[in-house]
Amino acid sequence: MSAGRIALWLLAGLLMVFLIAPIVVIVITSFNATPYMEFPPRTVSLRWYLNFFTSPHWYQTALLSLRVAVFTMIVATVLGTAAAIGIVRGRFPGRRTLEAFFVSPMVVPIVVIALGFYFLFSGYRLLNTSLALFLGHTVIATPLVVVIVRAALQTTNPAMEFAARSLGADFWRSLWYVTLPSVKAAIGSAAAFAFLVSFDDVVIAIFVAGPDSTTLPKRMWETIRFEIDPTLTAISSLLTMLAIIVLLAVELLRRSSASDRIES
Amino acid sequence: MQSTRFWRSREGALVLPALLFYLLVYVYPLARIAGWSLFDPDFTLKFYREALAEPAYFKALRNTLEISVLVTLIALALGYPLAYLMTTTSARARRVLTVLILIPFWTSVLVRTFAWLVILGQNGLVNRSLVALGWFDAPHKLLFNMFGVQVGMVQVLLPFMVFPLYGVMSRIDMNIVRVARSLGAGPYKVFVHVFLPLSLPGVAAGCILVFLLAIGFYVTPALLGGPGQITLATMIDMMITTFLNFGFAATLGIILLVVVAGIFALVSAVMGVNRIVGGESA
Repeated sequence: MSAGRIALWLLAGLLMVFLIAPIVVIVITSFNATPYMEFPPRTVSLRWYLNFFTSPHWYQTALLSLRVAVFTMIVATVLGTAAAIGIVRGRFPGRRTLEAFFVSPMVVPIVVIALGFYFLFSGYRLLNTSLALFLGHTVIATPLVVVIVRAALQTTNPAMEFAARSLGADFWRSLWYVTLPSVKAAIGSAAAFAFLVSFDDVVIAIFVAGPDSTTLPKRMWETIRFEIDPTLTAISSLLTMLAIIVLLAVELLRRSSASDRIES
Repeated sequence: MQSTRFWRSREGALVLPALLFYLLVYVYPLARIAGWSLFDPDFTLKFYREALAEPAYFKALRNTLEISVLVTLIALALGYPLAYLMTTTSARARRVLTVLILIPFWTSVLVRTFAWLVILGQNGLVNRSLVALGWFDAPHKLLFNMFGVQVGMVQVLLPFMVFPLYGVMSRIDMNIVRVARSLGAGPYKVFVHVFLPLSLPGVAAGCILVFLLAIGFYVTPALLGGPGQITLATMIDMMITTFLNFGFAATLGIILLVVVAGIFALVSAVMGVNRIVGGESA
């Protein structure tokens, strides 16, 4: 190996430490028995996890986040998948522009989107409701679904759908039995990411959520700003676990669809 | 043929639910921001005049751009070699690197920012280690300043630089590089005259993406920055929650939106030209 390669690997190693370190440190710190967030912990316990699962102050916010994330996941997946199919398979002018429009919430600063919701929902007295959270999260999750499902659709062969149609299947049958199954892994991945985007959102929650609709990230945010509660370390490691579970699910879906394709 | 065309249009109609949802819950709220910035209660430009005249707002705009430019440059300097390594290494090593990038990428930004508060604090891991090693005489202030903001933001945004870079680099035909080598060019010359120019679209895409995301960043500057790192995004929140000044919050939001949309429009115009120039075969 040349000196240049060694330097490259050294840099890559340091960058991996930089990317992973915050997560590793916080997970290890979460097992402290003392409230001082020592690293590494001198004595080990699960008391902060226990604290999270037993204090309503914390777990109730997680239940709200879960409810909002499930609704967001369902609606964003349906809207986004339909839009992706329309863009890829449809024939109408302005498809590219429409696609850019559907994806655009990804580049609009989330603070600006959240500010818009603040004005919108305060006008209809919907601030501090889970409906506001669900609508806001659906706007930031749908673009992700459009991108993922659109990419998968472009690798499938529309001739299968022509075949189904020529054999007498109507529009909905060919959609349900041919188009959707051909991209089911992508739809599953998109749903998993949509769930995660909603569950992890803090910015929209800061603007539209109130005392009666505090999500887990919003409660974390308030806690970080005003006190340091070691329960945060336990929650952080649980949220990291959630991200890893989502990534594993996506990887399993990808593999199952790859093996489907080899069999057929 | 007739039935085929009908079927096509049926598929096109599938965009309608999303379109309706976007108009009501995305475009309409953005229009309301514009409304708040322009009416009080009659049409007025006073918010914009004051926003541009008031040094505090101007400073927030400058902070935002300064932080974003610096984050972009650091992410490019770190991300380019990493993407190059991912392109030129074995498939297995590339998988390992990708997984190590993806896990933090999908972990909550709030969690990662909180982790830096713990790691970089006065009694945090970094200060204690460096004092113990004798590098620092006393704990340094690593948070609530530009350093803390840069560490936090680069950690979050680095993958957004690496993925577009890798996307472009992995499609570069390495035979061209080999030909240049066999014709007698040294590794440095090959890199500067062959690989680097071919990778520039990736550099452009990565820098634009990171810069756009950095401009609107909220959580990390708010938690890891100090008074010198007040950005447009954190100022919008202050206007709403502390000063209840909705007109100014809306005006700053529109300024932020215009900056982002302007960059986006400029870039898509330029990239669009690229697509026309090189896209016929693709």
